[in-house]
Amino acid sequence: MFETKTKISIIWSMRKWTFKYIKWRLTTAYPNGWKFIILHPFIFIKDIWHYLNWCQMIDRENN
Amino acid sequence: MFHLKIKNTHFNSPIIAASGTFGYGNEIEGAIDYSKIGCIITKSITFEERIGNLNPRIIEAGNGMLNAIGLANVGVEKFCKNKMPSLNKLPTNYMISVAGSKKSDYQRVIEYIENNGGNHIGYEINVSCPNVKEGGIEFGVNKEILSDLTSNLRDLTRKLLFIKLSPNVTNIEELALAVQNAGADGVSAINTFIGMAIDYKTGQFSLSNIYGGLSGPAIKPLALAKIHKIYNLVNIPIFGMGGISNYKDIIEFLRVGSSMVQVGTLNYRDPFIICKFYDDLLKYSKDNKIDSLSCLTGDFKI
Repeated sequence: MFETKTKISIIWSMRKWTFKYIKWRLTTAYPNGWKFIILHPFIFIKDIWHYLNWCQMIDRENN
Repeated sequence: MFHLKIKNTHFNSPIIAASGTFGYGNEIEGAIDYSKIGCIITKSITFEERIGNLNPRIIEAGNGMLNAIGLANVGVEKFCKNKMPSLNKLPTNYMISVAGSKKSDYQRVIEYIENNGGNHIGYEINVSCPNVKEGGIEFGVNKEILSDLTSNLRDLTRKLLFIKLSPNVTNIEELALAVQNAGADGVSAINTFIGMAIDYKTGQFSLSNIYGGLSGPAIKPLALAKIHKIYNLVNIPIFGMGGISNYKDIIEFLRVGSSMVQVGTLNYRDPFIICKFYDDLLKYSKDNKIDSLSCLTGDFKI
């Protein structure tokens, strides 16, 4: 079990993620990985926002 | 503390990283304590490389996640050449998830890997794929097709052979019995439920593929029921999964009949979460003087 974190602290906890892992997460979410972020930065920011909200909800619901 | 054995394979932990939620297995190497992970199951590998479905293909959905990634993977040739050498050096077990759209696809992938060698302990067969030779019906929903596939793959390997069952069927236990009789060493239960999401204002489907697989805590009660039904009918090990989000869930999955458990969606919340579950489970076991987790398997009261 874990406490509900703020969005900032969720992002801060990602500092432990390796480059290879981030690359894999991006290519899982988007067929063309990094390129998608460069071409569609606003969609990416929106997706990150949704993801952070989801992380907080998972923490809250499963605590 | 958590030594388990299935056939001749030893596991240091009852917790497995589910296929598709932990990359190919080595992406987080150097940052995680692998001794707390009993086994890593790779992304599903197909014979040919696949780019998968168009974006959006993964969305957060309530207390769960919907995905229609479409089996994006590098294909068996690149997997053996570029991924397996580092996977072979991991200080834990790994299994290879195999997918295909024809029986021969599954056979070719396993034959290729067997010829290539490797330290993997076995295969998890993803049967939630449309069978193009049977009009697109999933392999995992038809007893005869599933049995035929299992017995064919059994002939190709002496390593562990687990079949990952689809929950989108009426009687999952009958399918588990069919794969047991066909020679499988165990079953992974359950794969994702078919789901979808739509924008109430625009009517736009959220996933490019329209339908996706629902996973995460939202499906936990459904998963427990399916595993309990399987446990009551078969006697091969079950890798239980479906929305595990803390150590208490792990114990629940063991009690309904799982030999080991898989953590999937929560890896998307935090790739280090399995280590936390392991520590919590260890503390619970010590506090409650539980010597062996295997004594919890099927330990339920009516």
